[in-house]
Amino acid sequence: MAALKTILYLLVYPGVLFLFVYSTFCEWFDRKVYARLQNRMGPTHTGRFGLLQPVADFFKLMAKEDITPDLADRRLFTLLPIFGLAIVATAGLLLPVWVFDLSAVPMISFSGDVIVLLYLLSLPTLILFLAGWSSTNPFSAIGGTRVLTMLFGYEAPLFMTVLSPAILANSWRLSEIALFYQHKPWLILPNLLGFAVALVCVQAKLERTPFDIPHAETEIVGGTLTEYSGKKLAFFRLMTDIEMVVSAGLIAAVFLGGFPGGLWLGLLNFVVKTLVVIFILSLIRALTSRIRVDQVVSFAWRYLAPLAVLQLLIVIFIKGLLL
Amino acid sequence: MRFNIPIGPQHPALKEPISLRMTVEGEVIRDADLRLGYNHRGLEKLAEQKTWVQNIYLTERICGICSHSHTTCYVQGVEKLMEIVPPKRGLYIRTLVAELERIHSHLLWLGVAGHEAGFDSFFMYTWRDREVVMDLLEMISGNRVHYAINTLGGVRRDLDEGQIKKILDGLVVLKERSVYYARIGTTEPSFVARLAGVGYLSKEKAMALCAVGPTTRASGVARDVRKDDPYAAYEDTSFEVATADTCDVLGRTVVRIKELLSSYQISEFLVRNLPAGDIAVRAPKRAKPNEVLSRYEAPRGENTHYIKSNGSDKPERLKVRAPTLANYAATIEMLKNGFIADIPLIFAAIDPCVCCAERTVELVNGRTGEEKTVRFAELRALAAERHKQLSTKRNAVWPL
Amino acid sequence: MRVAAFLPELLRHLFKKPNTVDYPFKKLEVPPGFRGTPFLRPELCIACRACERDCPAEAIEMTLLDEAEKKWKMIIHNDRCVHCAQCVDSCPVSPIKAMDIDERYELADFDRHNLKREWVYLRAVLKKAEPKPAPPKTEPKPQTGQV
Repeated sequence: MAALKTILYLLVYPGVLFLFVYSTFCEWFDRKVYARLQNRMGPTHTGRFGLLQPVADFFKLMAKEDITPDLADRRLFTLLPIFGLAIVATAGLLLPVWVFDLSAVPMISFSGDVIVLLYLLSLPTLILFLAGWSSTNPFSAIGGTRVLTMLFGYEAPLFMTVLSPAILANSWRLSEIALFYQHKPWLILPNLLGFAVALVCVQAKLERTPFDIPHAETEIVGGTLTEYSGKKLAFFRLMTDIEMVVSAGLIAAVFLGGFPGGLWLGLLNFVVKTLVVIFILSLIRALTSRIRVDQVVSFAWRYLAPLAVLQLLIVIFIKGLLL
Repeated sequence: MRFNIPIGPQHPALKEPISLRMTVEGEVIRDADLRLGYNHRGLEKLAEQKTWVQNIYLTERICGICSHSHTTCYVQGVEKLMEIVPPKRGLYIRTLVAELERIHSHLLWLGVAGHEAGFDSFFMYTWRDREVVMDLLEMISGNRVHYAINTLGGVRRDLDEGQIKKILDGLVVLKERSVYYARIGTTEPSFVARLAGVGYLSKEKAMALCAVGPTTRASGVARDVRKDDPYAAYEDTSFEVATADTCDVLGRTVVRIKELLSSYQISEFLVRNLPAGDIAVRAPKRAKPNEVLSRYEAPRGENTHYIKSNGSDKPERLKVRAPTLANYAATIEMLKNGFIADIPLIFAAIDPCVCCAERTVELVNGRTGEEKTVRFAELRALAAERHKQLSTKRNAVWPL
Repeated sequence: MRVAAFLPELLRHLFKKPNTVDYPFKKLEVPPGFRGTPFLRPELCIACRACERDCPAEAIEMTLLDEAEKKWKMIIHNDRCVHCAQCVDSCPVSPIKAMDIDERYELADFDRHNLKREWVYLRAVLKKAEPKPAPPKTEPKPQTGQV
C-alpha cells in the first residue's frame, strides 16, 4: 500500500505527470498574460483558448531532427537535457503539496529540505553552462559565461530572502514553515520586502526579461541552447517550464503561507498561489527591457543584496520581539 | 584572449544579410570588419533595360520601408531631364506621402530599437500605432507598402474631402501616442540604461566620415536636405531641423522622435493648405541627352540618384547612393571599444536598410591600388582558388 | 527616471480587446481604391497595347490570333504582376477603362500556372457613337485556387 502510494506520488501527483501537465498550463498562462498586456491575442487556435499550444510545441520538437555538432562531446551533449529534467522534477517532489502526515514522511519532507530545494534549483544553471560549453560554438560559449556571471549576482540575495521566513518560523523544513504561517498569517507582512526581492531573483534565475541575457535572441542567436534541436531542445524547454513552476511553488510555500487542506483543497491552493506568482513574473517580463550582464551584477549587488540583508535584520528583530 | 565573432550574414539581430566580423576580447569589441554584397540584385543594370515609366516601379522596389523616397528621388531627376514641372497640387500630395512615410519609418524604428534592446512591449505598442499610418497610406494610394503614387509629371491619385478628414483624425491620434512614447523611451530605466552612452560618435568624426541623417544629427551636425536644398513642396513649409547633443543612441532616438513631431506638423499644414488644380502634367516618351543628380531626405538620411539619359526612352545609367551606405564607415567607428551586447543596438541606431545599400562590387587590389569591376565567373574562380589555400583551424584570421 | 513608468498602461491593456484580428477566421476590410488583381473588360478593349508596353513586370501578353476578324488574345500573368496599376493608368479608353483593377488580394496557389488568366475577344471599334460590344468567342477561364 505504501509502495503504491509512493509510486503514485512519484509518477502522478505531484510527480512527473502532474508537473508536465501543470507546467504546460503555466506556460500557456504566462504567454496569454504577456500577450494581453501587449494588446494582442496570444495562443488561440490549438485546443480551446489555445490551451494545448505548449503541449503541441513539445510534441513538435520531439518529432524534429536531432543534430549533434561534430566537435561536441557526444555523451555530455546528450545527457545534459536528461539530467536537467530529472533535477527539476526531483525538486518538484520536495514542495509541501500533499504532505499527508507530518511526522511520518522522512523521504520527501525532512529538516533542511528548503536548502536542498534551493541547491537543486541552482543546478540547472550549471547544466546550462555545460550545455553551452559542450556545444563548441562561440555563441554558446558566450551564453554559458553569461549564465555563470549572472549566477554571481542573484544567488546570494535569493538564498538570503528565502531563508528569512525560515528563520522567523524557527525551522528548516518546508512543511513546517508553511504550517507556521498558516497559523499566524499576520507574520507574512514583515516578509513582504523579501517577497519582492525574491521575485526579482527568481526572474533572474529563470532567465526572463529583464535578465534574459544568456539566451538573448537578438544578440547571440540562441545563447546556450543554439546547437540544441529536436528531443534535446524539447527536454530543455520542459526543464525551464518545470523550473518556473517549482520556483513559483517555493516562493508561494515560503512567503504566501503554503498549501493547506489535504489533497483537493491543497491542490486548489497550489494552483491559485502559483498562478498569482507567475502573473507577477509575467508583468515584470512585459514591463522592462533587457539589461547587460555587467549591469545585472551591479544591480544585484547594489540593490538586491542590501535589501536582502535588511530583510534578514527585520526578521531577526521581530524574532527578538516575539520571544 | 581574442576571438572572432561573426555577426551575419544570417543572424536574428539583422533584418537583412550583412557580415560583420568582430574581434572581441571578453565582452569588449576591439575591431570590426564589414562585408557587403549579400543583397545585390543588379538593379542598376536592370534599370538600363526598362523605360522611364517602368523604372518608377523598379526603383520603388529597392526598399520596402523607404520605397517612396527612391521613387520620388528618381522621378524628380527624370522630370528635370524632361524639363517638365509638376503642378502644385501634385507636389503637395507627393510631399504629404513623403511625410507619412517618414512617420511610419520612424515608428518602425522605435519598435525595432525596443526589440533589439529586449523591450518587446514597446515594440508591440509602436507597431500597433504604426497601423494607423499604414491604413491612411492604404486609403490614399491603394497599398500599404509600395505606394506607387508618383508618376512622371506629378501623382496618380487625388485626395477628396472624406480622405482629408480621416488623415487629420489619424494625425491627432498619432501625435498623442508619439508624445507618450517619447516619455517612455526616455524615462524607462532599463531601456535608457541600454541606450545611453552607447555608440559614441563625436561631431568631428561624424563630419569626417560623411555620416548622414539622424546618425549625424544626433552628434550636433544640423544637416537636412529638406532645409539645405528644398525640393517638392518643402519651401512652403516651416519646421525645425531636429538635432541632439549627446552623440549616442539615446540622442538618435530623441532626434527621430523630434522628427516625428515635426512631421505631424508638416503633414497637417500640407493637408489643410492643399491648392486646387491638376495633379499631373503629361510627360514625353523620350528625354534629351543630359545628366542630373537628384537629392532627397529619406528617413535614414540623404538619398541621391544620378541619372544619365542619351535621348532614347531608356536611361543610360542610373546610380543609387542610399543613406545607409554613407553610414557604414561611421558604424565601424562606433563599434570599436563597445560591448558585444551593444552590437545590435549600435547597428540598429543607424537604421540600416541594407537592401538600399548594395550596388556594384569593386575589387581593389591592396598592393597596387588598381580597381576593376569583375564579372561573376571571375569571382567564382577566385573564390575556388582561395579556398584551396585556406587553413581550417578554428579562430583562423580571414585574410582580406 | 521613474521605475515602472510603463505599468499603468500595461495593466489597462489587460482589460481591452486585443488589437489583432483572428485571420483567417475574420478578415479586415480594404478601403476603396485598393490595388488588387488586374482584369480586362474585353468588350471595351481597342488593342492599342499601351498596357503591355508600360507594364514593369512584363505581365501582360497580347497576341493577334486572326487578322481578318481582328481577334486578339490577352493573357495576364498574375504570378508576375506587381499590382502597380500602371496598366489601368495607361489604358486610353474612357470613361470606363478596358483595363481595370479589383480588390482581390488572396491569390495564393500551389501552382503558378493556375494564376494566369486568358481572354480571347474581338477588338472593339471606337468610331461608332455607341460601340457595339462584340461578344467574346469563348468564356474566360475560371480562376482556380481561390480561397
